[in-house]
Amino acid sequence: MSEHGNGSSGDVETSIASKRITDAAAHPHSVTSQAPPTAPGAMEYDYTNFYFGAGKDAFALLAPFDDWWREVKPAGYYLYELPLHSAPSTRVDVEDTKTHEVRSGLINFASYNYLGLSYRPEVKEAIKAAVDQYGGGSSGSPILSGTTELHRRLAEEIADFKKKEAALVFPTGYSANVGTIAGLMRSGDLVVADQYAHASIIDGMILSKATSRFFRHNRVEDLDRKLSGHEGKKLVIIEGVYSMDGDVPPLADIVAVCRKHGARLMIDEAHSAFVYGANGRGVAEDQGMEDEVDIHLGTFSKSLGGQGGYIAGSHQLVNYLRGFSRSRFFSCALSPAVVAGLRKALELARNEPELRTRLWDNVATMQKLLADGGVPTGDSTSQVIPIMVRDDARIFQMGEEIFREGVFINPVKYPAVGKHKSRFRMSISAAHTKEELEEGATAIVRVLRRYGVCQ
Amino acid sequence: MPVGEYDFRTGVSAFFEMATPDALAVLPAYLQPIEVRHQRSVLSVTAFLFEESEVGPYTELMFAVIVPPMVAKWGQHAKAGFYPFLAATSSERARRQRAERYHFRYLEQDIDAQFIETEDRIRVRAWSVGKPVVDFSVTQGAWESTSHLLQGFTAAGDQRFRTTVQISGEYTVHENERGTMTLFPHPMIAPLLGREVSAYPFREHWFKNGTEVFYGLEAF
Repeated sequence: MSEHGNGSSGDVETSIASKRITDAAAHPHSVTSQAPPTAPGAMEYDYTNFYFGAGKDAFALLAPFDDWWREVKPAGYYLYELPLHSAPSTRVDVEDTKTHEVRSGLINFASYNYLGLSYRPEVKEAIKAAVDQYGGGSSGSPILSGTTELHRRLAEEIADFKKKEAALVFPTGYSANVGTIAGLMRSGDLVVADQYAHASIIDGMILSKATSRFFRHNRVEDLDRKLSGHEGKKLVIIEGVYSMDGDVPPLADIVAVCRKHGARLMIDEAHSAFVYGANGRGVAEDQGMEDEVDIHLGTFSKSLGGQGGYIAGSHQLVNYLRGFSRSRFFSCALSPAVVAGLRKALELARNEPELRTRLWDNVATMQKLLADGGVPTGDSTSQVIPIMVRDDARIFQMGEEIFREGVFINPVKYPAVGKHKSRFRMSISAAHTKEELEEGATAIVRVLRRYGVCQ
Repeated sequence: MPVGEYDFRTGVSAFFEMATPDALAVLPAYLQPIEVRHQRSVLSVTAFLFEESEVGPYTELMFAVIVPPMVAKWGQHAKAGFYPFLAATSSERARRQRAERYHFRYLEQDIDAQFIETEDRIRVRAWSVGKPVVDFSVTQGAWESTSHLLQGFTAAGDQRFRTTVQISGEYTVHENERGTMTLFPHPMIAPLLGREVSAYPFREHWFKNGTEVFYGLEAF
């Protein structure tokens, strides 16, 4: 199958016959004949250059990677995995692993704590009470001894919240995607996902052994093309809010294409559940398409500030996946303490719609602050705001300066996003004050202006 | 040591997704394709406008599958490997030298090519024996100086070879998906026709005013 269209024409031509041989001065980057082949600067390499390597020793890539990492870590990669010394609140204490100082009171735009629930006193009290009753861990798989009364109730409450017949709780969002996709789809089936789908969706596709295809981001006509020509079972997977771009899918159009091809539709609302929709049920609620989506997936680690994942849908779907979702079946169940905190956080999210109101007000405020500063933010319409730097070579330098200016925000570059699509991913919380938003935006704009990202 | 230096004014390279079974079909059994995503390998389409070399000025068009490089110690570790399965040049002299020296397989007939540059885009149209082969374009991002270390894999009879290639010059790369490609029903690209190859590049490379240096072949 070919997808080729017609190229355009009518441009100015430069014929090969008109080439001139230029002198050596026109080639400032020429390599002399005597130079041995040496790799360019370490920062021109990235993780992908150490993922594949031919040879006979399974450890062959370890030493080159280690040597590369030693060079690039102090040059910027240290900005990842910085240890926090405080709760993921709107201000955090972060250890600078380059200077070994703890930087206190940084404005936090890096955590997923969209509703500010992870450190709420009510949540912490629920967790403490569960520790007293159940201890630290669940000590078993959900199907054996790991399910407590708390787990059962959380699943029921999630199903009720999502207005679905049933729900199934997973130990992580990652395992929810992997277990659901691989639990349903088999070799010979077709899974089609948006090209920006999360790694856990892709890993689920791989594990399922189904034929995998990816359609261009949010392009319904390409989804239509990718679904064509397959007679067997088909599953389409999209996200509610795309985690690197902050945009949302055109659900009605996607549903129409799925119906045309007889494909089932799954939506991962990891970043949109509990914040989108009049009742917080997600983008499917917000776009009035809840009943048209077959599988509603979400996580507990973002807006609820805890840990874990879930799917919600029909009794039959949940019953089947309870038996065939290996990532859940063969994992230890969530700690009862975590589950207790999640139940309380869910209760707060349901009973305090003003949290969502405050979040969207904060998002509008930040969007305006960034727009006034001339900062490009892509197509985001959500609480995930990408600050599009598009400077792969200097994003770490900018990140270091923003860090020193008192803001905690994650730089994102290839391969997490495409080449020349580097950005800072900003997460807004309902808990941010207006003063924090203004102070943080001012610091970011100040740094970006120094680099010419905005005027 | 270097065995060939080729100064170029323009180099255009675009990476397209292709189905992994199709990539495996053009690779020898001892090479595996790199997958950019599950079940999607990488087809590289490259055109260079060489202005100065031992064999004079010429144009080269090359179709390759991206493969893992042989691991080397840090400092000599190549960013990627490529297996050229279809190539063509505008001069017989260039074709003969590169085929003899590197064992790349070339179309026996000359190709002709146009590099059509507009403000932010370069389009390459290539044809041979009066028939179009490919028409593709890439667009520019930010320009910077760079040097890439790559490995090329070739074969001659039962012997397998790899060569190290260093490409230096002004360079822009991005993944904004603004490029295009049209493949025409030409015998040169018969292995690609009717295959699942994307019509737009997921990665667009554009070199200017640089040098391609080949180091000697190593049997492996």
